[in-house]
Amino acid sequence: MIHFENAAPVKLKGVGGGFWVTLDTSRSEELLITEMDKLFTKLRHLAVNANVVIDMGDARGHEPLFSLIKTRLIEKFEVGRVTTPPQKQSVPTQRIRQRDLSKGWNHHRSDVLMLRGRVRSGQKIDTGKHVVIFGDVNPGAEIIAGGDVVVLGRLAGKVHAGNPKNETAIVFALVFDPTSVKIGSVTAAGSEEISHTIPEFACVKDGGILVQDYMKTHPFRKMPWPEPV
Amino acid sequence: MEGKIIVVTSGKGGVGKTTATSSIGAALALEGNRVAIVDMDIGLRNLDVVMGLENRIVFNIVDVVLGRCKVEQAAIRDRRIENLFLIPASQSDNKDVLTTAGVERVAKQLRAKFDYIIMDSPAGIERGFENSVVSADEALVICTPDVSAVRDADRVIGLLYARSLNPKLIVNRIEPARVMRGEMLSHEDVLEVLSIDLVGLVPMDEKVLISSNTGTPLVLQSDSKAGAAFRRIARRLNGEEDLPIEMPVYKTSMWQKISKTFGLKP
Repeated sequence: MIHFENAAPVKLKGVGGGFWVTLDTSRSEELLITEMDKLFTKLRHLAVNANVVIDMGDARGHEPLFSLIKTRLIEKFEVGRVTTPPQKQSVPTQRIRQRDLSKGWNHHRSDVLMLRGRVRSGQKIDTGKHVVIFGDVNPGAEIIAGGDVVVLGRLAGKVHAGNPKNETAIVFALVFDPTSVKIGSVTAAGSEEISHTIPEFACVKDGGILVQDYMKTHPFRKMPWPEPV
Repeated sequence: MEGKIIVVTSGKGGVGKTTATSSIGAALALEGNRVAIVDMDIGLRNLDVVMGLENRIVFNIVDVVLGRCKVEQAAIRDRRIENLFLIPASQSDNKDVLTTAGVERVAKQLRAKFDYIIMDSPAGIERGFENSVVSADEALVICTPDVSAVRDADRVIGLLYARSLNPKLIVNRIEPARVMRGEMLSHEDVLEVLSIDLVGLVPMDEKVLISSNTGTPLVLQSDSKAGAAFRRIARRLNGEEDLPIEMPVYKTSMWQKISKTFGLKP
């Protein structure tokens, strides 16, 4: 690691609606406060009502210094709010599953690609996520997904779920009539029979692709929410 | 007022683009509009034969785009229908001689001179298609009720949407008797897959072949079912949007009705 002896003890960076101040806590308190005064004096009116984040690396043991700086910034430079950097939290998988469903989606990064409309012949959707389509997939269209494929309409194109090797993925459609289905590395050609107008889904069973009536074999029953990330 | 450029396209060949272009163009001219029909199928010129104007060609669309002549010099006036003009394609060049910029420049001149400019796009989705749709204001997709034509039309519709064109559909060559027997897709089946606005249904008509071979406009033949359907399409395009779409029906004879009653096969 390159270490500069003369690195600035106080660094200031503009972020979103305020400033991010990085302090080198190996330096003396007086030096840090003097340097900070210099920087905030230059900022003048820009500092007024601004949100300031004080980053002291590992903040433990520096609480007195933080409160000193906080009071000083608010009183002398009239800044709005002084906080420490937001904590990075690692929540265990069990806790993710127990998260409140009504609020959970707020901080859940979506692993589903949702599209509304008709996927036409020659159009190709290729993603590593799950795919949900509100519409029909016409013959000649192609869908490749890393996870499940759910079509809320007629699926008449070519579909590859669980790309490249996820054989637990499923393909669900309200009208299931694809030209070919591939799940993980298992492939099956579409059925010659006239499609039923009942919701069906395909999954891998005993090394082959099995298409079942959705109403009789609910595939989503055992699925946890949200999925452990 | 500036004219409107309508491109007639399909993706698949042989579904009736050229017949539709000439018939709709002629019908729009009969409605009192100044119409230019442009053959964009460079190298495989057909529209002049279908319209019976092949002997009068001097200049063509390639000459216009490359600046060898003016639009007025290339436009051939139809002697039977007033205000109907044809700008033919070149038979000796290929589709790469035209550029989209060149076509757009000519399109601007055409808009100033005509009320409607109907462009007959070549089959396929390559350069010729690109040149035909580049300056279009509206698009008509022709589709016959068979699976391959529907597949290609679907692809073309996707490409037209990508160019911010909202295409309208014409289902051509419907044979009501075969639809009834379940041998042919119905126009409902086609619409279910393509799901765009329908502008007309054209029944299968033997007179189309005769009219193409003799170079007489289909819409001038009063007893042609397809001609009547194209005239109605032209009226719809010309502002009569509420004109109801006529379903081609299969008229059964008395003998067929009796056989059906007694459970005999028609």
